[in-house]
Amino acid sequence: MKSFFLLLPFFFLSFLNSRSSINLSPPKTGSVKITCVNTVKGKPLELNSGKYINSFGEEYSISKFKYYISQVSLQRGKAVFWEPENFHLIDEGNADALHFSFALSAGNYDALNFMLGVDSIHNVSGAQSGALDPLNDMFWTWNNGYVMAKIEGYSPQANIVNNKFEFHIGGFMGENNVLKNIALNFPAGKTLNIQEGKTSEIIIEADIDAWWQQPNDIKIARHPVCSSPGPLAKKIADNYIKMFSIKDVVNNYN
Amino acid sequence: MKTRIIILLCLCSSLAVLLISAADNRSVHFADGKLPDYIEFKIPAGWPKPPTDIFAKNRLSEQGFQLGKKLFYDTRLSKDGSNISCANCHQQFAAFATYDHDFSHGLNDQHTTRNAPALFNLAWMTKYHWDGGINHIEVQPLSPITSPTEMAETLENILNKLKKDSAYPKMFKAAFGTAEINSQRMLKALAQFTGSIVSSNSKYDKVLRGEATFTYSEQNGYAVFKAKCAACHAEPLFTDNSLRNNGLPINEYLKDYGSMKITGKPEDSLKFKVPSLRNVSVSFPYMHDGRFYSLGAVIEHYRNGITVQPTLDPLLTKKIDITNTQKNELIYFLNTLTDTSMTKNPRFAK
Repeated sequence: MKSFFLLLPFFFLSFLNSRSSINLSPPKTGSVKITCVNTVKGKPLELNSGKYINSFGEEYSISKFKYYISQVSLQRGKAVFWEPENFHLIDEGNADALHFSFALSAGNYDALNFMLGVDSIHNVSGAQSGALDPLNDMFWTWNNGYVMAKIEGYSPQANIVNNKFEFHIGGFMGENNVLKNIALNFPAGKTLNIQEGKTSEIIIEADIDAWWQQPNDIKIARHPVCSSPGPLAKKIADNYIKMFSIKDVVNNYN
Repeated sequence: MKTRIIILLCLCSSLAVLLISAADNRSVHFADGKLPDYIEFKIPAGWPKPPTDIFAKNRLSEQGFQLGKKLFYDTRLSKDGSNISCANCHQQFAAFATYDHDFSHGLNDQHTTRNAPALFNLAWMTKYHWDGGINHIEVQPLSPITSPTEMAETLENILNKLKKDSAYPKMFKAAFGTAEINSQRMLKALAQFTGSIVSSNSKYDKVLRGEATFTYSEQNGYAVFKAKCAACHAEPLFTDNSLRNNGLPINEYLKDYGSMKITGKPEDSLKFKVPSLRNVSVSFPYMHDGRFYSLGAVIEHYRNGITVQPTLDPLLTKKIDITNTQKNELIYFLNTLTDTSMTKNPRFAK
């Protein structure tokens, strides 16, 4: 009995130690900034004005390009360091919505992981705020769920009103699930290095050209609109999963 | 002595743990200490618990309810000049359905394509709309608010209008702790109002509680109901909240395939939500497209009108055998499901 009481203060100490707010030896932290550069065939995307051609010879321009990034983590060997739960709506039309930052313990990291989309729980949990606010025009009001990624634009091959094509890709349940885990290695010879009180940056490239092919041929003439979960959305998501790569890592720039 | 020190240490550590947890649980939203008056959502005696607690992350309070009620009756939730509030299509005296309309009127008198459902006992539902496409009570208003044929307004415009109002910032503060007006708070307040509308005090309920008695015809009608209708319209909610194909021939103009539009699955073709029969005598017309204007016409459908379709509900593959006398008695019984303490309750009125 006595020995149990003797141990209690140690339980308490270990309890304190497990809480980050009252950590006995706070880890050194810096921060990582993740910047998304949206491109078409490697060239910076120019909303509305840029003219592009897909692999089927279809001409198009892009008026909207938005997607959700969540469950972000960095890897050091097999150890995984998560950003606290957060959702980032990357929006080519809003310069403030092309990057985000979070605190990270000091050290080296060799890979970046994230989810493209919004996990199923947040699709069914009622009114959300911040990046998930329905104000952001990424929530289906008639068939509830988030649009995980969307492009809209114009193409002479889009044989519908105003030649406007739109791909709103969503679906979080069962066979219609388009949630994608993305794992990206850093370019050869690059490592993310975080130092106390400093910021390092990872530059991600997202290339719209990936939406049109491999493994699935998506021709605008045949599919000018995708606006609900289902087989077409899944095919497009299977294409766009490959749009991401890490362009550069810039260590400790301030 | 040693023991005392140990006990003291233990006490101190427990105290510290308590303090830390208390600090964690403090409400950051109510920094000035003015908590709203929280209300307990009461489940009527003998009723099942709701399948999910719609107020679990939206704690019901008097201030939240009042804010939701003001929003429900506010025409600023629709495009300027259209003067449409939620209550235009959800009229309290019609159990919050649209009285005597197959389709409701939206912006510029455009028609909706489905009959406005009655609003009560929503806390027991996990899916909303005739096709089950809405998965949470809080996000339902987004659909009528933004639909171009209904209220035709953007969330952004609505929030701007509310922010300019003299009363709303104070009401948001009272309900949520700060005067910030955002879509999440607006939707949560609306859910506090609509989710609080409970209908559990009809003559039928009073009979079950021993406070009233059925007439001879009502009693017979209740027996018919239990034998012929209760498999889908299960007591005490008078619906099992499932989606089923009840054998209505498709309206060739609307071509509404119901749940299939949501799930994309052929097996869900022509399935619609089973509505509650509570308050059914004031919430006519009936069915997802309001095609039947009387209970007699509805019963006639189940007696003789069912169309055989691949997805027809297995319970309806045989016509429901109801005599003319039973039909009349059934209607007498259904009339006992009207709950004027809900349809005339000033608490839910503008």
